[in-house]
Amino acid sequence: MNTALGRPETSDAEVLGLLRRGAREQAFARVLEDYEQKVFRLCCALLGERTQAEDAAQESLLRVWHALERYDGRAGLSSWIYAITRNRCLSALARRRTFDSLDAPEWGEHSREPAADEVLLDSSDGRVQQLRDLVELLPERQRQVLRLYYFEDRSVSEVALMLGCPEGTVKAGLFRARAALATLLERRGLADPSYWQEMTS
Amino acid sequence: MSEHGIDSQLDRALDAALEQALRPPGLPQRFRAELGAARRRLEHLDVAQVRARLQIEHHEQLATLQADFVRIRRTTLGTLLGAAFAAGAGAVIAMPWLRSHFGPLAPVLIAWGGVALGVLLGVAALRGRLGTQTR
Repeated sequence: MNTALGRPETSDAEVLGLLRRGAREQAFARVLEDYEQKVFRLCCALLGERTQAEDAAQESLLRVWHALERYDGRAGLSSWIYAITRNRCLSALARRRTFDSLDAPEWGEHSREPAADEVLLDSSDGRVQQLRDLVELLPERQRQVLRLYYFEDRSVSEVALMLGCPEGTVKAGLFRARAALATLLERRGLADPSYWQEMTS
Repeated sequence: MSEHGIDSQLDRALDAALEQALRPPGLPQRFRAELGAARRRLEHLDVAQVRARLQIEHHEQLATLQADFVRIRRTTLGTLLGAAFAAGAGAVIAMPWLRSHFGPLAPVLIAWGGVALGVLLGVAALRGRLGTQTR
C-alpha cells in the first residue's frame, strides 16, 4: 500500500469521505493500515526504547481515534497524525527526564539511556552493537534524525514530514550526526573503512 | 565529509553499516489486538474521567515548561552576575599593571576591553541561538 518513498497512498479525501459518511471505524482502519508502522517507527526513533515506543504508539493512535471525528482535512492527514505522535513522545521524554533527574543524585547514574538492542533487531555481530552504542552517544536530536533516516529508507522528505521540520534541517542534522560519528570513530581508532565493509559484506 | 578528514570510502562503508545497524523495527503481532482492547476500555470510561486525566496531563506539561523557563532564567541571571563580578575583579587586579604600562590610558583600555568582550559574548550567544533554532 506504500509507495517507494514509504508515503501512504491513502488520500486525505478518502478518509475524510469515510468520516463524513459516519464510517469512523472504517476510516480508522484505513489510517491504521497506512500509518501504524510509521507511527511506531517515529516513536522508536524519538524514544529509542522499544517498550516505551509501543506504549507511545498505542496512545498516539488512541488519540487519533478520539480526535478523528473532529478531523476536518485542513491539515494533511499525515502531518496531523505525526504531530499527535510527536507530542505524545515529547511528553514521554519529559517524563523520562524528570525521573532521570530524580534518580541521578541518589544512584549516581549518568543516564538512563536504554541499550540500542532494546529498540532494534538483535544481532550477534559485535560491530553492529558497537555502532549502535556509538549512535547512542550522539546528541538526542542527531540520534533521532539518524535513526529515522535509516528507518525510512533514507528518505529525507519523509523524515522531514514525520519530524515536522524543513528538509534542510533534516539534512543539516544528518550532516552533523555523521560528522560527530566520524569523530567518535577516529577517537576510538575505528575509522578504517575495511572494518565496516567486512560487517556488511 | 572530506572537511572532517573522512574519506568517501569510510563514508560509504559507514552508511552501509548504519543501514544494517539501524534497521526499521517491526510492530509486534499483538499490537493491533492490544490497541483494540485499549479502545474498548476507553469507550467505557466516563468522558469526565478522560477530561480530568487530560487536564492533569496538561497541567503537568505546563509545570514542566514553567520549571524549565525558571531554570533558564536563573542560569542566565547567575551567569550575568558572575561575569560582572569576574570583570570587576579582573579590572581591579589588572589596573596597577595597566597603569604602570599605559599610564592615564589604562581606564580607557579596560573600558574598550570590556566592550570587545561584550561584543564577542553577544556574537557567540547569537550564533548559539541561531544554531538552536535551525535544529
